[in-house]
Amino acid sequence: MGKAFDWIYSRFGIKESHKGLLKRTIPGNVNYSYCLGGMAFIFYCTLLISGMLLSSYYIPSEKEAFQSVVRIMRVANLGLLIRAIHKWTANLLMLSILLHTLRVFANKAYRPPRELNWIAGAFTLVLSFASGFTGYLLPWDQKAYWATVVGTNMIATIPLIGNSLLLLVRGGPEVTGFTLVRFYSLHVIWFPLLMNLLLWAHFHMIRKQGISGGL
Amino acid sequence: MATPDQQNRRTFLKTFIKIGLIFLAFISGIISLVFLYPSEIRKRELKFFYAIKEEDLPRRGVKRIELAYESNQKAGSFRAFLINNGGKIFALSSVCSHLGCLVEWSRNNNMFACPCHGGKYDIEGRIIAGPPAFPLERIPMKIRNGKVYLGLKV
Repeated sequence: MGKAFDWIYSRFGIKESHKGLLKRTIPGNVNYSYCLGGMAFIFYCTLLISGMLLSSYYIPSEKEAFQSVVRIMRVANLGLLIRAIHKWTANLLMLSILLHTLRVFANKAYRPPRELNWIAGAFTLVLSFASGFTGYLLPWDQKAYWATVVGTNMIATIPLIGNSLLLLVRGGPEVTGFTLVRFYSLHVIWFPLLMNLLLWAHFHMIRKQGISGGL
Repeated sequence: MATPDQQNRRTFLKTFIKIGLIFLAFISGIISLVFLYPSEIRKRELKFFYAIKEEDLPRRGVKRIELAYESNQKAGSFRAFLINNGGKIFALSSVCSHLGCLVEWSRNNNMFACPCHGGKYDIEGRIIAGPPAFPLERIPMKIRNGKVYLGLKV
């Protein structure tokens, strides 16, 4: 590393504590399908950064949400690019995280001692879908609105508590501006925060247990 | 032990990836800054607004006026001083040239005093004391058909 990095590293001491992470042995029979998890993480980081950029233009309000998205698309410099990056990366994240799950399943890498890591991964998968669902409402156009109406209607089919859950998710009996703000909060604060925790746990366990040597 | 050949390959790949990542970070940084930079910066233009009648100009000393204006569907107000210093009539902005607080005319001390950081200006707007680096701004003034107009950048 360069001088500036060395200056920080010699004081922060991160190199020593992460030596095990940076220089670990991996089993010989890994192939490119083992990159899917790493790809998902790269996509997640890209989403995080492009999302932070978008959040500086987006207005989570019933009246202004759609207009602010139009503003991002038409007025803001490179707005089209940043929004496209966020949208397409979200799709790629879904794809890579699903394929990663399938790879781990096919390799039986969920077996002891890695059960907890499989559970953390499963939560990450669900959370990324939830992020996708909440993010889908934010443009506040017809497609987003009706997708959310239909999507949240499914909750009501849960026996006994369905209707109460629906009210909780929507913030009222219908999809309104309250739903929008609720979904915005989940999409930009709660889910990324939980995701970071889960990913930290995921990587910590990979480091401690190593990569499964396959079947 | 790696052979020198493998070592070269490894060093090359390491450098290649490092340069690639630095390049990527650099490009992302530039793109982010361009995205965050406002794309519509409206140029401020000088416009004249009616302030008071000519006969209401001060015969001697300083008169404070509050000018309410409307431009580009945006309303605002502006505080200015109309000054008659021995027959010389001019207008001064009340915005302190230090950090933009509004100065007040002190008749007793014969000077403009800023309440924020103690900037002081004389009746011509020249600095007497305090942190300001520039005098009070002169406002372009027009008198036409007995009416006084002040030029504001809006």
